[in-house]
Amino acid sequence: MSLDGAATIDARRGTPAAGARLPPGRAGRLLASRRVRDLGLKVSGVLTVLLALELCSRVGLLSRDWFPPVTDTYAELFRLGMGRPLWVEIGRTLNGWAIGLALATLLAVPFGILLGSSPAAYRMSRVVIEFCRPVPSVALIPLAVLVYGVGLEMKVFLIVFVTFWPILLQVVYGVTDVDPVVRDTARAYGLPAHARFFRITLPSAAPYIATGLRIAAAIALVLAVTAELVVGAPGLGQSIVVAQSNAQLPRMYALIIVTGLVGWVLNMAFQAVERRLLRWHPSQRQEESR
Amino acid sequence: MLEVSNLRKVYGPDPHAAPAVDGLSFAVADQEFVCILGSSGCGKTTMLRCLSGLTPATSGSVVLRGKPVNGPPEDMAFVFQDYSRSLLPWMTVRRNIAFPLRYKGVDRRRAAELTDEALDAVGLAGRGDRYPWQLSGGMQQRVAIARALAYRPGILLMDEPFASVDAQTRSGLEDLLLNVWQRYGITVLFVTHDIDEAVYLADRVLVLRPPANVGHEAVVGLPRPRNQVATKQEPEFGRLRGELYAALDGRPVVA
Repeated sequence: MSLDGAATIDARRGTPAAGARLPPGRAGRLLASRRVRDLGLKVSGVLTVLLALELCSRVGLLSRDWFPPVTDTYAELFRLGMGRPLWVEIGRTLNGWAIGLALATLLAVPFGILLGSSPAAYRMSRVVIEFCRPVPSVALIPLAVLVYGVGLEMKVFLIVFVTFWPILLQVVYGVTDVDPVVRDTARAYGLPAHARFFRITLPSAAPYIATGLRIAAAIALVLAVTAELVVGAPGLGQSIVVAQSNAQLPRMYALIIVTGLVGWVLNMAFQAVERRLLRWHPSQRQEESR
Repeated sequence: MLEVSNLRKVYGPDPHAAPAVDGLSFAVADQEFVCILGSSGCGKTTMLRCLSGLTPATSGSVVLRGKPVNGPPEDMAFVFQDYSRSLLPWMTVRRNIAFPLRYKGVDRRRAAELTDEALDAVGLAGRGDRYPWQLSGGMQQRVAIARALAYRPGILLMDEPFASVDAQTRSGLEDLLLNVWQRYGITVLFVTHDIDEAVYLADRVLVLRPPANVGHEAVVGLPRPRNQVATKQEPEFGRLRGELYAALDGRPVVA
């Protein structure tokens, strides 16, 4: 599914750029052929690396005990992908990821808006933020286990605690960074406070918030897998440890690849949503402007 | 219509600091086109911000149609120099024009009518569904003017609105402004640092000398409608140009 999912997102992203806005005829064909060539180059790059790895372990340049041939790993990956257990594990990891990220967002966005709109509140809380933010997430694991045990709650707690800060800071920056000309425009046209907030402040902060969420999403996945690896909470991370301790190396590699794919797909999904909602922002305009 | 008396603005908490605006008094009549001419740094922008109620004055008064201005009045619209920043990039051209109307109590249907009419008046009919950043600089400033027109203000304040477009576009915008000014019967207070522009547009030119107060006043007797070529060839145009040039420089005006 992960690969299917990626393909759909890619197609959706491709359509408006390639279909609707392209000039018809030669220019379109030229661009399309450039795309095909680009894709060809990317694929051959990946294939070269895989082939090199395969050769290294087949020839014995890399010890086969620790580096099984890539083909074995991919065969295992395929086998896992066909069965149910892998998807259950992915679901467990994503469950913690989603709950944690949602809670962090629900807490950080209103709090960030408050701090962003009140300089006094921001100055008051700055020291606390600067102290809490750089605490290495892993250092909190013993505390989390002590309070919440080894299950989902522990994972969620870690994710919320760590991803709260980047989202919060992005919201604060976004809310404070409204263009003064825009602010004056809104005031000159007599917008009441609530309208200034919803029609002006929130839209201009949206790109910042989106970046905060995308960063937080990546961190949250790292934390979910870390918690599973270190503590043994059920999920992909735990499966990796189990595969390792059973000396099922191809499976271990296959699972590592799966975690990479999950992160990649999540990032693509966030970018696709951003591109759609923030079409107006300079970073998303591409060739469309003018 | 608009009466400014003894306006003074000092930035910061120290009341004895150098004022940005000091002892400014003038009046603008209904449907008059007044240009405020001043070199950069003479307090033009501060003055305009005080007049529009965006910044509170330190002392003195601004009275618009008998009502003192304490905050942005409903009867006033503002066109900023920086069109690309004053239009909201997340709204289409049409929404940019229409959104202030809702808070003025205009219903949806009437707002759509006003928007169409204003777009038509600035020659952008059919561009309403584009985004501002898809338009050229001159067109963006036309959208800003359309937004002001749709708002149906009694008075329109413009802060060097054509300072950042090229010369060709600029003359086009000047003529467009004169056209809608007459068509809509509004009062315009237009701030500029360009002598030719001031003489070409105005009924009356006020020269600001730092700290912004009226150092000189010139009544422009040029016939209307004005024409970019013919008007600028009139001897009167040349004379006014010389007069204002001297006044800006602070030299005594030779009549």
